[in-house]
Formats: sequence, C-alpha cells, structure tokens
Amino acid sequence: MRRFPKVLLFYIAGVYAFLFLPIAIVIPMSLNAGEYLTFPPQGLSLRWYVAFLNSEQFTSAFVRSVGVAFAVAILASAIATPAALFYVRYMRSGREKFRLTMLAPMLLPEVLTSIALLFFFNQLFFGTGTLAPLVIGHIVITIPFVFLTVTSALYNMPAGVEEAARTMGAGAWIAFRRVTFPLIKSGIVTGAMLAFIMSFDNVNISLLLKPLGTSTLPIQLFDYLRYDFDPTAAAVSTISLSLTLTVVFLIDRIYGLRAVRF
Amino acid sequence: MRLRLWSFALPALLIVVLFLIVPYLNIVLMSFRNPSPTAIYAPGFTIQNYVRVLTDSLYLGLLKDTLLYALATTSICLAVGFPVAFHLARTDSRWRGLLYAGVLSPLLTGVVIRCFGWIVLLANNGLINQLLGLAGLGPYRLMYNPIGVTIALVHVFLPFMILPIMNAIQSVDPRLGEAARTLGASGPRAFVRVLLPLSMPGIQSGVILVFVLSASAYIIPMLLGGGQVSTMPTVVVQQLMGGLLWPFGATLALVLSLSVLVLVALFGVLNRRVMRGVA
Repeated sequence: MRRFPKVLLFYIAGVYAFLFLPIAIVIPMSLNAGEYLTFPPQGLSLRWYVAFLNSEQFTSAFVRSVGVAFAVAILASAIATPAALFYVRYMRSGREKFRLTMLAPMLLPEVLTSIALLFFFNQLFFGTGTLAPLVIGHIVITIPFVFLTVTSALYNMPAGVEEAARTMGAGAWIAFRRVTFPLIKSGIVTGAMLAFIMSFDNVNISLLLKPLGTSTLPIQLFDYLRYDFDPTAAAVSTISLSLTLTVVFLIDRIYGLRAVRF
Repeated sequence: MRLRLWSFALPALLIVVLFLIVPYLNIVLMSFRNPSPTAIYAPGFTIQNYVRVLTDSLYLGLLKDTLLYALATTSICLAVGFPVAFHLARTDSRWRGLLYAGVLSPLLTGVVIRCFGWIVLLANNGLINQLLGLAGLGPYRLMYNPIGVTIALVHVFLPFMILPIMNAIQSVDPRLGEAARTLGASGPRAFVRVLLPLSMPGIQSGVILVFVLSASAYIIPMLLGGGQVSTMPTVVVQQLMGGLLWPFGATLALVLSLSVLVLVALFGVLNRRVMRGVA
C-alpha cells in the first residue's frame, strides 16, 4: 500500500468534490417541489419532469438530438474505422502527416471550426436550411475520437493472428471479418459511443450550424438558461445527464474507461 | 493494389479536407474581403479589417481580457490538477478506476449542464451563499462577473490538464524519485530535479490544451458572465449571428487564434530554455 501525506489526500478529495458538485447538484434541484431553484428543495416532486414532457420545444429538441447523435455515431465510425485500419496495417509513408490530419478536428478550437463551416456552407449551399451541415460538422469533430479508439484497439490485437488466418488459407475479406473485426469490435463500439456523447452534448458546432427555428437539446437549454431559471432546466439536465452516464457506463463495461485517452 | 488500399482512408480524408481544411482556408480569405451592408461581403479584397482590429482599443482590450482569462484558467488548472494527476498516476487504491472515471466523466457531461450547475451553486441565493449566510457572511456576488466565469472555466477544462500529466507521470519510474532521496536530495529538490522535468511533456500538452480551449470558450462566459463579461469569442459569435459582419468576424477570430498560437509557441521555447537549466 502506497502512502500519501494526509494533506495531499484532503486536498485531492476537495478537488474531486469541486469536479462532482456542480454536476450532482442538478439532480436534487430537478426534484424540487417549489417554484424556484432554491436550496434546500421545498419537498419532492416530479412536476418539472412533467413540465419537460409538456414542453414541445424541449421534447422535439430531445428527439432531434438523439437522432442526430445516432446518425453521427454510425457515420463517424463507418468513416473513421477504415482509415484507422489503413493507417495501422498498410500505410508506409506519410504516416505522421496522415495521423495529424485525422486528429486535426480535435486539435483545432471548436468555435473556429464552427465559424469556418458556417461560412463554407452558406457560400456553398446558400444557407443552412437542413440538418445536413450540423450533422457533417458533428461528424468532422468526432472522427478523431473513433480514429483514436480503433487505432489503439488494432495496436492491442495479439500479433500475427491475422497473418495466421491468411496462412491457413483465408482470403483478405474472410480474415478481416472472422479475425480482425471481432477483435477490434469493442474499440469501434467505444468510438461510436464517444461520438454519440460528443454529438449529443455539442453546443459550439450546433449553435452556428443549426437550421433556423429548430434546435438541439443543449442549444434549447442554453437559450432557456439565458432568460429563465426554473427547475425545468434541472429536469432537462438530469435527463440528458442520465443518458450520457449510461453511455459512459456501457463504455466502461465494454472496453474499460482507461482505454479512453485524449 | 496500392490504390485499393488507399480507398480505405479516402472517405475520412475527403471529409477532413473538404469540411475542415478548405473551410479554414476560406476563413482566411473571408478576413480579407470587403464588408457589405446588404450581402455577406462585397467584391474585392482589403486589409482594412485587420487595421480596424489592431488599432481599435475596444478590440485590443477584448483580446487582452480573453488571453488573461485563458492564462488565469491555465495557471489555476496546473496548480490544482498536478497533485491530482500525481495521485492518480501513483495510487494503488482499489478506488482507482472510480477516481479515473471521476476525472473523465465531467469531460463527457455537456458544458451547458455544468454551467447550469455552477449557476445553481453561485447565485445570490445559491447553495454557497446560503452556506456562507449560515456563518453570518455574504451574500457575495459570485457570478455574472469574472469570478464566476473563471471558476466555471477551471471546472470545465481541469480534466484536460489532469489526464496528460497523469499519463506522463505514469511513465516515470517511481524508483527514480526514491533514488534521488536516497542519494540525499530533499523532498522538494527531488521533485524539482527529477519528477518535474520528467513529467514536463505531459505538463506541456496540458497547458497548451487548456490555454487554447479556454481562450476559445464561448458558452461559459456567455452563461456565467450573464452579459456582463465579454471575451473575443462571445463578440465574434454575436457579430456573426446578429448581422452580416462576416469579414470582420473572420478577422477577429483569426487575430485571436494567431495570438494564441504565438503565445503557445513562445511557451514551448521558454519551457525548453528553463528545463535545460534544471535537468
């Protein structure tokens, strides 16, 4: 057992409290029976969840966000997985340049990417009337995460099993489908789930690229919080939080959170 | 054969080039365009946008404020995060997985929700002021001012400091520190001469990440600043959403990005100098 000085442990406990408290606080707030965001809550009630369900704006934004996140998760992993495979298995020259290109969306500030895409789509498609620009924007920023998880899954594969399959007479496709794919599947799924969360929580890209008059859940919440503070916001936050935490929990079960590196 | 293999990478490459690299080049182009009151831009090119940003004290002030927020956030994150990263890298507690998830999961929680949490905590009748009230203090004004914005910035970007430093410390052999102690170095001296230089790559990436992210933060100053705090990103986004001032908005965004880039490069050079002296 390693010993740390008591002072250090207290300090660290303080930092974890600082990390957790602002996230955890929204849960009791959402169960508040009173009119306002006061502490302690004035009795328990689910009325703010009912308010959420009765708000067309919030429910439609929720449905839209989930739909977009699903589409982004599937498309980003379909696009980034072959790229990761190529990079790890077959690429000989220009590897570093290729890797940097794939990771660029993660390294550049999202606000700037969002502005760049706003200009680009407006000049190209004459406005952002559909969800397409938003989905493309989300795919661009989530590609690096899928690329990272799939490359690390490929590096962690036992060496030589693919060659073994080939030597035993399997064609390239069969070897991939029967050997490589099952071994990297959890990496792909983890990447897709990360992409789901990133898309579901995204504000920077969505804010500038959403079609006029519609919004995603985080944008709706953002707009709401600029003018209103009633506990509906807390109910919405709790619902969105439980969705993300479920996905994080699933990632941990499937792949282990330690594999998630930035 | 070669061609067929390249086609694996083609979709991803195409997306990143078409929807990231080309749009970025397009911003540069946009920043040199003539503004127009009726369209996105007028024909012809100009450097007037740059002249305006770099001579107007309003925008220079905004740039200075934004960089100061980023600097404060980065320093606080480093001071707060280093001990946590050290503990997380070296602990053999059975709670380790949970602690790691604790650092990681705020990162996977929406930034709007985290800002909302801080609003609940920091408001005039919020939890912190009520607790202070019990002790006969306050209420203090903790948000809609630079304090609230800085607190939320630190909270949101702290994981980006902790994770790279943790990775770096994990790759330092703990016996090196013990060896330094055995050879007579005091605790602080062993820290400065052994652990600090060896974990420098992690510190460097953490500092750069947090600095870049906090300088381009938009949501946090909007929500925790409540309209009282303006930074470069909030002004840029307002310009772009409010009117058709795209060429000027592009210039503002680029001036901010270039300043951040210059500071990051300067930090890299300085860091190498200092470390050569220590190690």
